[in-house]
Amino acid sequence: MRERPELDVSDLPTVAFGARASIWWGVVGLMAIEGTMFAIMFASYFYLRGNAAEWPPTGAFHPGLGLTTANLAILLVSMIPMHFAAKAAHREDLAGIRRGLIVATVLCVAVLVIRAIVLSRLTYRWDSHAYGSLIWTTAGFHTLHVITGLLENLLFIALLIKGPVEDKHLVDVRVNTLYWYFVALSWVPFYVIFFLDPGLLDLSY
Amino acid sequence: MSVAEIQETEEGYAGHAAEERRRLEKTWAFSSGFFGWFMEVSHTALGRRYIATAMILFLLGGIEALLMRIQLARPENGFLDPDLYNEIFTTHGSTMMFLFAVPVFQGLAIYLVPLMLGTRNTAFPRLNALSYWLFVIGALLLYGGFFLNTGPDAGWFAYVPLSGPEYSPGKRVDVWAQMITFSELSSLAASVNIIATVFKHRAPGMSLNRIPLFVWAMLVTAVMVVFAMPAVMLASTLLAMDRLVDTHFFNIAEGGDPLLFQHLFWFFGHPEVYIIFIPALGVVSAITATFSRRQVFGYMAMVLSLVATGFIGFGLWVHHMFATGLPQLGQSFFTAASMMIAIPSGTQIFCWLATLWSGRLRLNTPLYFVFGFVAIFVLGGLTGIMLASVPLDLQVHDTFFVVAHLHYVLIGGAIFPLFGGLHFWFPKMTGRMLSERLGKLGFWLLFIGFNLTFFPMHKLGLEGMPRRVYTYLPETGWGDLNLLATAGGVVLGLGVLTFLINVAVSLRSGEVAGADPWEGETLEWAIPSPPPPYNFLHLPTVSGRSPLWENWEEQPVVTGVESHRREVLVTASLDAEPDHRDILPGPTIWPFVLALGVGVTFIVAIFTPWGVPIGAVPCAIALVAWFWPRGDMGRYELKEKS
Repeated sequence: MRERPELDVSDLPTVAFGARASIWWGVVGLMAIEGTMFAIMFASYFYLRGNAAEWPPTGAFHPGLGLTTANLAILLVSMIPMHFAAKAAHREDLAGIRRGLIVATVLCVAVLVIRAIVLSRLTYRWDSHAYGSLIWTTAGFHTLHVITGLLENLLFIALLIKGPVEDKHLVDVRVNTLYWYFVALSWVPFYVIFFLDPGLLDLSY
Repeated sequence: MSVAEIQETEEGYAGHAAEERRRLEKTWAFSSGFFGWFMEVSHTALGRRYIATAMILFLLGGIEALLMRIQLARPENGFLDPDLYNEIFTTHGSTMMFLFAVPVFQGLAIYLVPLMLGTRNTAFPRLNALSYWLFVIGALLLYGGFFLNTGPDAGWFAYVPLSGPEYSPGKRVDVWAQMITFSELSSLAASVNIIATVFKHRAPGMSLNRIPLFVWAMLVTAVMVVFAMPAVMLASTLLAMDRLVDTHFFNIAEGGDPLLFQHLFWFFGHPEVYIIFIPALGVVSAITATFSRRQVFGYMAMVLSLVATGFIGFGLWVHHMFATGLPQLGQSFFTAASMMIAIPSGTQIFCWLATLWSGRLRLNTPLYFVFGFVAIFVLGGLTGIMLASVPLDLQVHDTFFVVAHLHYVLIGGAIFPLFGGLHFWFPKMTGRMLSERLGKLGFWLLFIGFNLTFFPMHKLGLEGMPRRVYTYLPETGWGDLNLLATAGGVVLGLGVLTFLINVAVSLRSGEVAGADPWEGETLEWAIPSPPPPYNFLHLPTVSGRSPLWENWEEQPVVTGVESHRREVLVTASLDAEPDHRDILPGPTIWPFVLALGVGVTFIVAIFTPWGVPIGAVPCAIALVAWFWPRGDMGRYELKEKS
């Protein structure tokens, strides 16, 4: 078949941000998968709770409303430096990206330290009862995400220091931020069911 | 312009084209050599490999089916002992559902979607390699277990408590659980890839309402995978945890609930049926259009039916659990939803019939398979409507009636279209035609063999023969129909054998196909068979739903896409306006290493929870190496601003 040139695209750029970029669709797909996973764990909690005579089981002491709330707060605050890193990526400001990522990484470490303290205070294990299985599995699964986010940030920082930084890495920084928002926000519902609800509504517990 | 001048321009164009072809061949070359085989990222190479691997698993699953049929051929047969029978039916179901039916269509999608969209590769070529290798390792895990006498034996759905730590000690169910998590990871990666490719890498002008129906089917399937597969991954992970680290998700004594497993499993399991079946609908549409020589009737109705099926498919899962004593209201809801699915399915059947009715038919083998599909699938659909009603479902639950129904739906609904599709696209993939005579012979053997095997099962089920029993007593009177079913199984096997012979003979001495042997409708027929590694010399543009029928004289193309690096055109997600040029990565070993790392994690975790941290190390190394730029993509390097 003969070809007839119809459209010249040599003027088009080689990077684009947001939904224009393929990688954005990839990361949104990943978020949809993991979001479904979190949603189903959330549903499983209520399924088991609905059948339970006693919920949470007796002897399950609250690890502390203040500590767990502080943990969530720091996690949410870490979105701010990530936001500035993304802004800097739009400006091609490599130093700005680095600053944002470093601050977020420090906050991320704080989150992990407090998370470790919270888990160490739990008076039951994953093999004590179904409630314990739920809380340990969910927290473990989410912590794995926080650790992955931390490692990703460290990887970006290393890349920004060592180079070569290519134009597409700006888009990568941007979608990495998006994914971090997802990781931070996905803890909110679990904080509510595991810590806020029993902490506020049932003070005897 | 004088004739001479046109001649001159055309010669000039031909010279330019030859130069462009040379550069593209260098840039997009397939990987070669032993290590190159593990580094391949080309979607045509990986798609072909995906299909071939899935077909090998189909043969293994088929052999298992024949072994079961031999065992059931007469009452009180001693061919297989009960334990081996359990392993074989579990491996058969798990293979066919997880390692054949889903991957084979994903392979077809990986191969065809970029061609139909008019691009050079999928959006994430290395992710493609990762999904392929995960799939292979998942298959090796299942069959490694099977041949080491550790094959799963609790059914392809592995219900607790049977599959729980108390009633299934040993490692058999762990192999199943890890294989599931594995193969679903692979499917999820492939699906995200397909979604991104469909939304971002279409030829300019191919707005959403011009996407080929095959691509729509693959898109809807991929979206369903994204929302369905996490449920089964969670189910298999929680099951593995209950077994390996003593959690109590499904342990009723400690506040867990076995029914939770069924909900999680079927929240995936029912959409899974459509994940297998919807791609087949896409294949049927492609074949019907080409062999009726007209566009499929009712494009909009077809697309909306696909999307509606995708949604309703998520509201049916409880009809697998009617026998678990759920509230009446819930049962009624799921009965209604199960019947509602007949509406979009029926719409599509009628649209195809209208297409065939008003087309000028060309009766080649692929169309035979479409006819076979319509006949068998309608029967399977009718028993589906019967099963949607709770009283009948309770009566025939766990009998051969259900076995008959599900094989009518899945073999009729997926395998017949698949074979049609393989006959249809074989010339594109290999450059040679399959023999029509052997093709039609194979079709009749499959069609007759299939009905002989599975039709009697309806009656056996109504007479009360339960599923998953390794034998039955002579007094039951089920011997004759079972013998008939076994004879049918042999005919079915001969049909598959005929297909294999056809492939083997045609690969060596089949008629050379040329670019477009069927006068096809969509863009894959615009390029040579088999496609060169870069697919299109110049990326095409599109001005309608049937690009090859509309631009049969000359193909309008895009210029200005660089050929010295792996550059592709990215277009807007709705209207496919050109947006930017993306640069894709070349061959790399890291997806293979990552798949191995994931394999180590999951396999060691069967024996000790330390498998997770141990496996995390190679995974992390592979991911960093995957991400780290090598400066070989021809990208613009950024400098620090002072």
